[in-house]
Amino acid sequence: MKARVAWNLASIAVVVAIIMLWQMVADTKILSPAFFPGPDRTWKALTRAAISGDLAPRIYATVWRMLIGWMLASVLGILLGSLIGSSERLRRFLGPTLEFLRPLPASATIPVFIVLLGLSDAMVLSVVAFGALWPMLLGTVHGFQAVEPRLYEVARVLHLSRLAVIFKIALPSAMPDILSGLRLSLTVALILTVVCEMLIGVDGLGSWTLISARAFRSADLYAGVLLLGLIGYLGATALAVLSRRLLVWKHGSR
Amino acid sequence: MNSIPAATKPAKLPASIVEGADARTRPADIAIAFDHVDVELGGRRIIDDLTLDIAAGEFVCVVGPSGSGKTTALRLIAGLVKPSRGTVLFRGRPLEGSSRDIAVVFQDYSKALLPWRTAAQNVSLALEARNLPAKERPVLIAELLAKVGLQDHAGKYPAEMSGGMQQRLQIARCLAQKPAVLLMDEPFGALDAMTRQSLQDEILEIVRSSGASVFFVTHDLEEAIYLGDRIIGLRSNPGRIGATFQVDLPRPRDQLSTREQPEFLRLRRELFDFIKDAEHERGR
Amino acid sequence: MSAAANRSVTNRASGLVVPLVLIVVGEAAFRAGYLQGDVLAAPSRIFLAFIAALRDGTLLAATKDTMITTFGGLALGGLIGLALGVMLGSFARLDRLLAVPIEIARPIPSVALVPIAMVVAGFGYSMEIAIVGFAAAWPVLITTRSAIAEIEPRLIEVARVLRLGWIATIFKILLPASLPRIFVGFRLAAGIALIVSVTVEIAANPIGLGHAIMMAQQSLQPALMLAMLVWIGVVGFAMNGVLIFLQQRLFGRAALAGDPP
Repeated sequence: MKARVAWNLASIAVVVAIIMLWQMVADTKILSPAFFPGPDRTWKALTRAAISGDLAPRIYATVWRMLIGWMLASVLGILLGSLIGSSERLRRFLGPTLEFLRPLPASATIPVFIVLLGLSDAMVLSVVAFGALWPMLLGTVHGFQAVEPRLYEVARVLHLSRLAVIFKIALPSAMPDILSGLRLSLTVALILTVVCEMLIGVDGLGSWTLISARAFRSADLYAGVLLLGLIGYLGATALAVLSRRLLVWKHGSR
Repeated sequence: MNSIPAATKPAKLPASIVEGADARTRPADIAIAFDHVDVELGGRRIIDDLTLDIAAGEFVCVVGPSGSGKTTALRLIAGLVKPSRGTVLFRGRPLEGSSRDIAVVFQDYSKALLPWRTAAQNVSLALEARNLPAKERPVLIAELLAKVGLQDHAGKYPAEMSGGMQQRLQIARCLAQKPAVLLMDEPFGALDAMTRQSLQDEILEIVRSSGASVFFVTHDLEEAIYLGDRIIGLRSNPGRIGATFQVDLPRPRDQLSTREQPEFLRLRRELFDFIKDAEHERGR
Repeated sequence: MSAAANRSVTNRASGLVVPLVLIVVGEAAFRAGYLQGDVLAAPSRIFLAFIAALRDGTLLAATKDTMITTFGGLALGGLIGLALGVMLGSFARLDRLLAVPIEIARPIPSVALVPIAMVVAGFGYSMEIAIVGFAAAWPVLITTRSAIAEIEPRLIEVARVLRLGWIATIFKILLPASLPRIFVGFRLAAGIALIVSVTVEIAANPIGLGHAIMMAQQSLQPALMLAMLVWIGVVGFAMNGVLIFLQQRLFGRAALAGDPP
């Protein structure tokens, strides 16, 4: 235990060292401050924006779009995924189509949604939800498809009801895949939110960074990028914690 | 035409017990009866005209070369396979799917246990299926785990348990069904010799105290003799009964003394010759 | 035909049912006037637009651009990810030391770097390759790291007994033993590289397939837009298919049981 804490501290020290290095390089002005601000300016820009009250609504807007789209996609993805994954017939008919759609960049659907819904918040939500749906769906299908067949036989011999089979056997078995699907689709949701904001200009972190870039306000730009990274980090960490809780049996409590 | 209810048709007696006796008399308490059962899968006949009775409390071991339908016969009783012709009867009534009073111990124990549930929770699954009220479960679970010697491991996950322990856990879960018939498909095949022997004795004790009938499939001829009241030898292509061996050894059995009895050695030789012949025939 | 072969033919056939039905129904709906051609387009028109774009060279030019940035970024990020992955996988202390910085850098969405890259490099190939490189490095790094870290320790003992230097150990033992999983990492990275390429082109960069599809939408050509969408899908599918084929040929299925599809 102590060793682990020590290594964590050492690793954090590495981060601090990197920040100091960043400051040093920025101070030498080898790279123009117009596109390489130091951590000091970045931090100032961050606090300035926070105090002026402009930052909070932007963060809120981006996070809200990401979360709502992600939750819609997750619920739909788990429902559809469990249906498709547990039905051999549905898998046969839909499988190849799903496999074809798997490598498709979700952002490529943006122009189609623009055509259908115009440049609106509804369009952003639809793009995010649609894009985040696929990793969730595919992950869930895989999870349900990969349930150990022997367990279904055990369920038959024990006379478990259909509902019991779904909730006591199929769902827990598919949980690792569902959780990694959730992680992936959250990542996709964030990316699509940012892209849409950049394209459309609705207020949010994505558009803020782009506008700052165009105006060469590099400190604002870096602040925005770091905030986006922070959002990504918090989301990933939250899901990782959830994963560890739910999958204790896999990682072992030894 | 297949199913004729057993009540109106004289049941067949096991061949080696009585040859040519009056087939009208029906011994009491036949737990499982196969009535001219055929099983065809993928165009091949897996089981051909299987007719067999298993009495209540009887320990029947089934041996035979690969492809003789041993596992299929077990799965017929489990309700996981349907006969193409003929009927399987449980307590005189045709089996419709799986019966709650018939429990199955699978060979691949790690696949038959829920890896995300602890030992206690795995046993609980059988009680949940019976709709036993939650309050009554902990007592029963503790009892069952104690019966298989896992009382100190109730909170462990299957991945944290050895092969022998996992198989014991599966047995405990089956006992939770209070089964009248216990089906075991080469349950000790994947275990080391010492674990196998101690589990053999444990099973004998469990079955003795519960009075269940057992249908025990195995490759291990000595195990079949050690455990069984009767041994069914199957032949393959198609699977059918080749010979039946009555096991006249005293109970309770003992790993050392029983295996040295002349009767044990005689049966061993007979079984060995039978299997060799059956394998040879299969190869032809 | 054997039963298994019969089954796989029916499987393939049923897989095509859904797309075929969609195409037929779509075409019928447009012909009958239920759907209008200004927002979406009939399958036949999509096909014609595809042929037209093929003929006048725009499709191929855009594809070429996107392929350059995809594979350029894949090479860049792949190399960096590979090098870092080997180091982190071989030296547990380095791995633990760099754990937090990596955890922080990893969740940064690659698109968020677009404005920075824009400011530094303007538009064009280099900014896109840089961003694609960043995104593609991660899957390679992570799979390489675990592939190396999980190498059979016995092989490393063999290297020690034979007194191989650490360079020789890496190239003669570590890399070959972990090659199958590293390849899977590259395969995943390739998919991500394509996705990020197209995304950067849609968000800002005026080259490639992403730009082409945005142009089609903005110039109110729904048929061309949808043709581009399908084509992007085909490109991604083909790339993945080729890589899976290579993977099976080079490493066989046994070496890769349990890996992501």
